[in-house]
Amino acid sequence: MSDYSWKELMAVVFAREIKDTDKITSGAHTEIFFAATMLAQKTHAPNMKLQLGGGVTLCNVVDIDIEELPKTSTGYELIRYAESVHDHPDTFLFYGAPGGARYYKEGNDLRNVNHFWFADKFFVGGIQVDKWGNTNMIGLGKPGKFTFRGPGTIGINDIAIGVRDTYAFITAHDKRRLVEKVDFISHPGKKICRENEFYGGGPKWIVTPKCIFDFDPDTLEARLAMLFPSITVEDVKANTGFEVKTAKKVETVPPPSKEELEALRTLVDKTGVLRQ
Amino acid sequence: MSNKRKEVVSSITDAASQIKDGMTVAIGGFGAENHPMALVREIIRNGTKNLTVVASATAGLEIDLLIGAGCVKKLFAPYVGQEMYCPIGHNLRKYAESGQIEIWECSEYILYAGLFAAASGQEFFAWRGGVGTSITELNKDLVEFIDPIGKTKKIVAVPPIRPNWALIHVGWSDAYGNGQHLGARFGDRWLARAADRIMVQAERVVPNAVIRKNPFNTTIAYADCVVEVPYGGHPYAAHGFYKEDVDFIQDYVKCSEANRKGDEATWKDYLKRHVHAPKDHYAYLETVGIKKLLDLYTHPIVSW
Repeated sequence: MSDYSWKELMAVVFAREIKDTDKITSGAHTEIFFAATMLAQKTHAPNMKLQLGGGVTLCNVVDIDIEELPKTSTGYELIRYAESVHDHPDTFLFYGAPGGARYYKEGNDLRNVNHFWFADKFFVGGIQVDKWGNTNMIGLGKPGKFTFRGPGTIGINDIAIGVRDTYAFITAHDKRRLVEKVDFISHPGKKICRENEFYGGGPKWIVTPKCIFDFDPDTLEARLAMLFPSITVEDVKANTGFEVKTAKKVETVPPPSKEELEALRTLVDKTGVLRQ
Repeated sequence: MSNKRKEVVSSITDAASQIKDGMTVAIGGFGAENHPMALVREIIRNGTKNLTVVASATAGLEIDLLIGAGCVKKLFAPYVGQEMYCPIGHNLRKYAESGQIEIWECSEYILYAGLFAAASGQEFFAWRGGVGTSITELNKDLVEFIDPIGKTKKIVAVPPIRPNWALIHVGWSDAYGNGQHLGARFGDRWLARAADRIMVQAERVVPNAVIRKNPFNTTIAYADCVVEVPYGGHPYAAHGFYKEDVDFIQDYVKCSEANRKGDEATWKDYLKRHVHAPKDHYAYLETVGIKKLLDLYTHPIVSW
């Protein structure tokens, strides 16, 4: 038995991904990503531009005490962390600062600013994910006949067109969720994003409780890249609904260090929301 | 001729009776915040049927309640649920899976694009989001076309969404229908602007002088109808006034889940307890209890 929860592990893994130059949007139902982004701001990414939730609150929490991790992405309490609040439709138009990969590399050349750059990273949920990284939040069944109605696409496809890397995320790893082909597409995978010439690159990873898939740069198909502690390749293969291809080297994700866990629990998640 | 301005303050009964069977009605708020619940409950009490409901971009269980009460025929919504409390609305599932409601499949910005088109008098608004997804396959009102300028990229044409009424919860309003939000506004201004008429429910009706102190903050100007309902957003939060009632929402989730699983008695009892039995909004608040209501109070973070 590890001395950290699965949600804590996820928060630490995502916090490690975040860079000081990033602009990040975190949507709804995502306490793990609230924790990851706030932890990153408080430890190694104090300049990261962070949008939390539907009030489109642009937050910087470097010098702010987080009493309790927010339970909804829309609460009035989020205003405590905010420096700027916008109407929700502005999410897609003009909140925050212009960005994009070239903006950071060649920041002094204004011609390289992409005004529609939505964010560098965004986290995408799904009730199904397939080997192309297409995710499905719409439901199961056929057009006109749902056997299961999902929550809906929310704004995921709107965001996908302008985010450099999305992180598809499912909360259980089994053959019902990781499938050959999703019933409906709410967030297109890398291949469809490329074919449609989106600014956004589509998913960088598919993250499950067992492992992380990345994408083969040539075929744009998912491949097993990293395992979480104590998980084996066979375990992943036995529980995945598509043929699992592997990267040249499959590494194990380092567990949270003592310092990372301490920072998470004392700076961001004092009340243990991620341990419930 | 008179030079006296027309006041639009109305009783909740008169206001809700303007919502007729078969109308298209937009319901404001977002997630667990700022939903016009007093009006929603009154519409259910009136037995209003066959509504086309235009939900907010992230609708909460206020829409699930309307569905479960049998008021909804067609739904415009990119999401119905309550995040960590209830990821997917149970009545949404029950009615969508049995084909009892029609869903106008969309994403957040496709919804806004339709509202923009209506508000600005355009035949459609163009948007790239939705390309490469199943949304255009599920919603035949959306039309894909090729960008006539660059000649290569696919774009979605979103037709106007025109509600007859928008029902919006604000912090306060004056008697002339000038409403001000005292917290996040979410998509309320767009829902209101696209609608033919605006019905505002306010925590307080205030003197016009309060509005004039900060006209920059007027978010809904010249609403057609204003209703004063303190705690009118309960069980959801009203920014600047109170937070959401978690116990009450969890009871809702439990009873609506029972309904989805076939236990209609539990659901009917819920509707009776919280919608049909209380004779008016204040009787409803008495069922919540004064201690609970005071506990939900939030000290204003921002001064307006």
